[in-house]
Amino acid sequence: MTAHEDHDHDHGTEHEHPHSPIETTDKPGYYDIMEQAFQELMIEKGYIGADKIRHQIEVLDSRNPALGAKVVARAWTDPDFRARLLQNGRTACEELGITFYDLTELIVLENTPSVHNLIVCTLCSCYPRPVLGLPPDWYKAKPYRARAVYEPRKVLAEFGTIIPDDVEVRVSDSTAIQRYLVLPMRPDGTDQMSEEELASLVTRDAMIGVIPVKPPTRGASS
Amino acid sequence: MNGSEQLLKRLPNDIGGLEAPKIEQTDHDLLPWEKRCHALADILDFHKIINTEEKRRGVEALGSEMVGKLTYYERWIATFANIAFQKQLITPEELAKKMAEVEARWRSHI
Amino acid sequence: MNPVPEQRKIAGVVPAPADLPRLRAGQRVRVGTLSPVGHYRVPTYLRGKEAVIEAIMSPKAVNNEEEGFGRNAGSLGVYYRISVPMTEIWKDYVGSPADNLRIEVFESWLEELDDDRP
Repeated sequence: MTAHEDHDHDHGTEHEHPHSPIETTDKPGYYDIMEQAFQELMIEKGYIGADKIRHQIEVLDSRNPALGAKVVARAWTDPDFRARLLQNGRTACEELGITFYDLTELIVLENTPSVHNLIVCTLCSCYPRPVLGLPPDWYKAKPYRARAVYEPRKVLAEFGTIIPDDVEVRVSDSTAIQRYLVLPMRPDGTDQMSEEELASLVTRDAMIGVIPVKPPTRGASS
Repeated sequence: MNGSEQLLKRLPNDIGGLEAPKIEQTDHDLLPWEKRCHALADILDFHKIINTEEKRRGVEALGSEMVGKLTYYERWIATFANIAFQKQLITPEELAKKMAEVEARWRSHI
Repeated sequence: MNPVPEQRKIAGVVPAPADLPRLRAGQRVRVGTLSPVGHYRVPTYLRGKEAVIEAIMSPKAVNNEEEGFGRNAGSLGVYYRISVPMTEIWKDYVGSPADNLRIEVFESWLEELDDDRP
């Protein structure tokens, strides 16, 4: 693998506008043109409907770590929901209206004082997209994928997370239908927080398992 | 014997346990075409025109040089083209003509 | 999946060979050592390693190594989530001996180890 594995600079254009229309003032790059052409052919030939891609973009835009955070906060505050979530992650998410637009299933991995979970996809980039949105670049790149299964504690340390020797580190490598979501431990000092306040503490990286959920900072409502 | 069989036996994406440097915690907002490409992949999989596992296999089949030099979504769209040709859903000429048309359309707007 | 106790089952029903999972939770297994070309979903680091079945995955599904070449339906099989100690995978593993890896593997890759092995 070269050092350029997954570098994401678009060599011809620098897009300043996050919501640029398909045709912009910059010349579309080679792959942009290929994608437009491929998509148009698929539609012209009747393989896919004209609006399907636009609709799916809306679906994808609605998926982000805030959804996962709400699932975690609900699990922290509702023991019955937590039990259902640990039994079947997908159906529990669907209870909250988080639909799964594909055939993946979800296993929620519970962090405890004796077990710390970490998720990775060494072979590609499997990630619980319906509930977390799209993964960060580093999750898809070689260093994380190669090392998380080989030296998870060193990887965690790079994120500032030190796991004591008496805590078991459990790495889940996705390869098929199951996707994983880490259910982090609820931090101290949050007993008085509402579910919404709890959700605001939960970050994407905590649900991947590279960091814990940090306790509220002094001055936050508690 | 030149040891080339490792290229077949160990696919370019099979990197668990290999030496690798420090993790650079980078991320980027998807470019519009990348987002379209991701949505396209989901639609192709839903209808099983090109399923997700075919896409994975197709990316592997690009070979280590392309896997190393193309970015994540560039690998996807190149793979979709290859697989669509293999399945005779479109021809290389059709795609090339349509790409020229898309580019001409852009030029006529400037 | 919680297995139904035997006494609750109705006698006399003959299952088809593919109906029942071949392996059960807690069973010791070894990951195969074949070296397929073209497409595989068992990483090289796992080949030949000894593991324990953690759970039977649900639902049954197509073998993803065949799915990669266009098989979209039929011949459903069982995936198993297995647990492997890190020290079993990496001879020079740095960390706790309790650290482990969990991974989902299609049934064709797993062979049973004798239950009475020490």
